[in-house]
Amino acid sequence: MMDIIRILSTTAKLQIKQSLARPMFQFCLLVNPIANMIFLYELYFNRDFQDFISYGVLGSCLMGIWSCICFSSIGDINRERHSGTLPFIYVAPGGFGIIIMGKILGNMILSIVTFAISFVTATILSGKMIVIENIAMFALSFVMMILCFVVVSICFSYILMLSRKTELYMNLLEIPMIFICGFTFPIEILPSLLKVISNCIPITWAVKILRMGVVETNLQEYLFHVVILLTQLFILVGITLVLYQRINKEIRIKGTLEVR
Amino acid sequence: MEKVIEVQGLKREYITKTGWFRRKQKKVTAVNGIDFSVERGEIFGLLGENGAGKTTTIKILITLLAPTEGSCKVLGMDTYQEAKKIRPKINFIFGGEQGVYRRLSARDNLKYFAGLYKLSMADVEQRIEDLLELVDLQQDSDRKVETYSKGMIQRLQIARGLINDPEIIFMDEPTIGLDPLGATMLRDIIKKMKQNGKTILLTTHYLQEADELCDHIGIMNKGKMAAMDTPENIKNKYGGKNGNYSLEQAFITLISDKEKEQ
Repeated sequence: MMDIIRILSTTAKLQIKQSLARPMFQFCLLVNPIANMIFLYELYFNRDFQDFISYGVLGSCLMGIWSCICFSSIGDINRERHSGTLPFIYVAPGGFGIIIMGKILGNMILSIVTFAISFVTATILSGKMIVIENIAMFALSFVMMILCFVVVSICFSYILMLSRKTELYMNLLEIPMIFICGFTFPIEILPSLLKVISNCIPITWAVKILRMGVVETNLQEYLFHVVILLTQLFILVGITLVLYQRINKEIRIKGTLEVR
Repeated sequence: MEKVIEVQGLKREYITKTGWFRRKQKKVTAVNGIDFSVERGEIFGLLGENGAGKTTTIKILITLLAPTEGSCKVLGMDTYQEAKKIRPKINFIFGGEQGVYRRLSARDNLKYFAGLYKLSMADVEQRIEDLLELVDLQQDSDRKVETYSKGMIQRLQIARGLINDPEIIFMDEPTIGLDPLGATMLRDIIKKMKQNGKTILLTTHYLQEADELCDHIGIMNKGKMAAMDTPENIKNKYGGKNGNYSLEQAFITLISDKEKEQ
């Protein structure tokens, strides 16, 4: 157990150092939340202030976190591949899964900055204080949302190890996920088929419970959403664990740990 | 003498697909049925032209790649089925400047990899000091690797490759791109490792290096083993006439003969 904690913490620290040194990540961390918030402010400033918070402010926060945790973490696999360190960390006895988790943990810690920047920008633009109706519920929702993004990132990171076209698939994932999971608008306005797909993705439910944390919410309805989210996460973890061995073998059969 | 590496009928194919709609499958056979073994404590060299299959063979042995056919055992364990048991006991070094984190110092790199190899906290500091002394990086150990020369990075790679005190070390062209002084230093380190009981399998293009270091040599050509013996025997058998034996001549003879046969 101590070994696992040590690997997680040293990998997270390394990841933070590496991420902060990259100009693109600095942009995602600092500039993107401001730009997203300005864009979403323009879309929602004529709407009810509650809508602005639910979809504008939280939308900007979610986009920032999605970029930092998922996008960067998946991209880190490719960066490790190009720097030649991927084979070494893959075969290390510490466990590649643990190392991936450590990387995502590092990015997660940094991503909280985007949350803060979005909130501050929204306050400045609107000239009003962003009030959270139920702090405890919001805090719990925030933790579950982070957990959800981490689990999804681990799943994507591992699956994308099977391909050298990591950057292509990463870029294909980014915007569609923002739309389909309802970061910046309610998924109820999506076509029926997309709504079905959306409701099958754990991130959609994480977004819903986060929104419930900023408005007055019926506790029963909130708990129902939490149960669905946790059930989907449980299923996703199960699928990732089942695929784990299979992916391990496929990586070695296809030889995708290095740049050709 | 105990055989720590045993390869029988090893074959590895790479399959690539090209095109958008009607995807064409292309198969490349990198290793085409090779057999060899390495005894404990010896230095074994794998030589061959570019594309001969040396690096693919090493990658199968270090559990990075799965064999397509054949049997591949390290320390008596199958490299595909028992990879997790093998990995704590081996390590590997690739030539070039990759494989270390450039934004960390040498010391931090070694600390990180020590953690990944689950070394006990009590031993790590001393182990790192010993390794930095072995590779002559104590003075520069706290500088970031991005400020290092090629030779320094290569020496750091050696230190990283020894962090878990492995029984077997695999080296893929360890002296590539190094100046003569750097290459000599690295060869001296390899000799020291052998004196300490390590088994080393290395690939190299530098025949003089193979002649100097290796107890046995395997010469690969187009995925097959063209010859395998001690450097002396190979030179005597293929290396030239009238007493002017050289490994280089033996290498050229073997590769040319095999090409003529094909």
